[in-house]
Amino acid sequence: MDKLPDPVTYAIPAFILLLIAEMVVALRRDRSRYEARDTLTSLLLGTGSQVASALVGGMVVAMAVWLHQYRLFDIGIDFQTWWWAWILCFFLDDLAYYVFHRSAHRVRWFWASHVIHHSSQHYNLSTALRQTWTGFISLGFLFRLPLFLIGFPPAMVFFCAGLNLIYQFWIHTEAIGRMPKWFEAVMNTPSHHRVHHGVNPRYLDANYAGVFIIWDRMFGSFVAERDDEPVRYGIVKQLGSFNILWAAVHEWVGIAKDVWHAPWRHKLSYMWREPGWSHDGSRATSAMIKERWAAGRPVEEPAE
Amino acid sequence: MTATDLIQTGASLVAVLFIAWLVGRMGLGADPRIADAAHAIRLAEEAEAGFGGTEVARDRAGFAAIVRNAEGRMMLVRAHGNHFAARPVDAATVGRLDKDFLTLTMPEKSFGAVTLQLGKDAGMWASRMRELRHG
Repeated sequence: MDKLPDPVTYAIPAFILLLIAEMVVALRRDRSRYEARDTLTSLLLGTGSQVASALVGGMVVAMAVWLHQYRLFDIGIDFQTWWWAWILCFFLDDLAYYVFHRSAHRVRWFWASHVIHHSSQHYNLSTALRQTWTGFISLGFLFRLPLFLIGFPPAMVFFCAGLNLIYQFWIHTEAIGRMPKWFEAVMNTPSHHRVHHGVNPRYLDANYAGVFIIWDRMFGSFVAERDDEPVRYGIVKQLGSFNILWAAVHEWVGIAKDVWHAPWRHKLSYMWREPGWSHDGSRATSAMIKERWAAGRPVEEPAE
Repeated sequence: MTATDLIQTGASLVAVLFIAWLVGRMGLGADPRIADAAHAIRLAEEAEAGFGGTEVARDRAGFAAIVRNAEGRMMLVRAHGNHFAARPVDAATVGRLDKDFLTLTMPEKSFGAVTLQLGKDAGMWASRMRELRHG
C-alpha cells in the first residue's frame, strides 16, 4: 500500500494554538464558554480516542487494503496525474461521512460511540477533540468501505478523511458568528454546526455535514441557526458528570441494561432503533420531543 | 502501539494538562445559580419539553431545585459546571430529611446526591417524596 503522512498529526500544533486563542476571546467576551473540568474531560477523551485508534487502526487499514483488491477501477495516487480523483475522493468521502453521521444519530448502536462527542454542554474548540473510544466496536468504518471498492487507494481515502477531520475542528466555536452568505450556502460553518450540537427541540437531528453543508440541504436535514433562539448544547439527557470513563461508555451500559431487561421480541430494537426508543413508549425519541414542542408553540416566521 | 504512538500520546497528555491548567489559571468559568422559581421551571422545561412545572422548591443558595408539575411528577435540577443538569425524581430516588435540609440520592450513581436547603418547606417536600415511594 502507498504511504502518506497523517495530516492530523501535523495539524495538532495549530489545534493547540487556536484553542488558546479561543480561550483569550472567551476571557474578553464570555468566561462561561470554558470550564476547566469540561475542557479536561474533552481533551482526555480526545487522547483516549488517539490511543484507541492506534490500537485498532491497523485492522481498519488491513480491511481497506483487502477490499481494494476487488476494486472496480484502477485509480492512481500521484496528484499530478490523478488530481481529479483526489477531488472526487474528498467529495465522496464527505458524502460517506454524511451517511455515517446521520446513522450515528438515528441508530442507537452507532450513537453509543458518537454520543461522546456530544456529551459536553459547552461548544468550544476542546469539544471538537472530544472523540469516541469505541468507534471500532460500533463499526463506523463500514461507511467508508465503498470508496475502496470503487478503486480509490486506501492511502488517498485515509488522507482525505484526515483533511475532513481537520476541517471540522474550527467549526466548533461560538467565537465566530456567521461566515459570508456564499460560504454558509455551500460549506459547513460554526453556525450550522452549532445547530447540530443543539438540544433545543427545533435543532434536534439536523446538520449532519462534515465539510459541505449541501448534503443536508439535498437530503432535507438542514436547519438554520436563529438569532432569536440561542443554542443549548449537549445531549437530551445531560450527563451531569465529568467522569471520563462514564462519558465514554454510558450509552453502551444503557444498551446492555435495556437489552437485558427487555422482552425477547424487543431486545434487538434497543440496539438498532433510534436513541430514546422504548418498547412501552416510556421514553422520548427526538421525533416525539419535537412533536411535543411543536404542539405547544405559536406559529412563527421562518429563519431564512 | 509503536514507539511513535507512545511519544504522541505522552505529548498529548502534557498538552492536555497544560491547557486545562490554563483554563483555571485564566479564571474562565461561571458560578451558575437558579435565580428564582421561574428560572427553575424553565430549566425543567428545557430538560423535558412539555414538563409544565407549577411548583418549585429552590435551594437557598440556588444550586439546585425540585420542580413539580400538575400531574405530581417531580424533577431535580442542579448546577453542573457552568450549566445545569436534571433528572426525574421518582420512586427510586432516596430522600433524607435533616431539619431544613433535604438530600436526594439519585439511582444513577454518576449523578450523585444533592442537598437542598429548603427552610420550613423541607418537611413538605420530604413527605411528597415518601408518597412517591409508597404510592
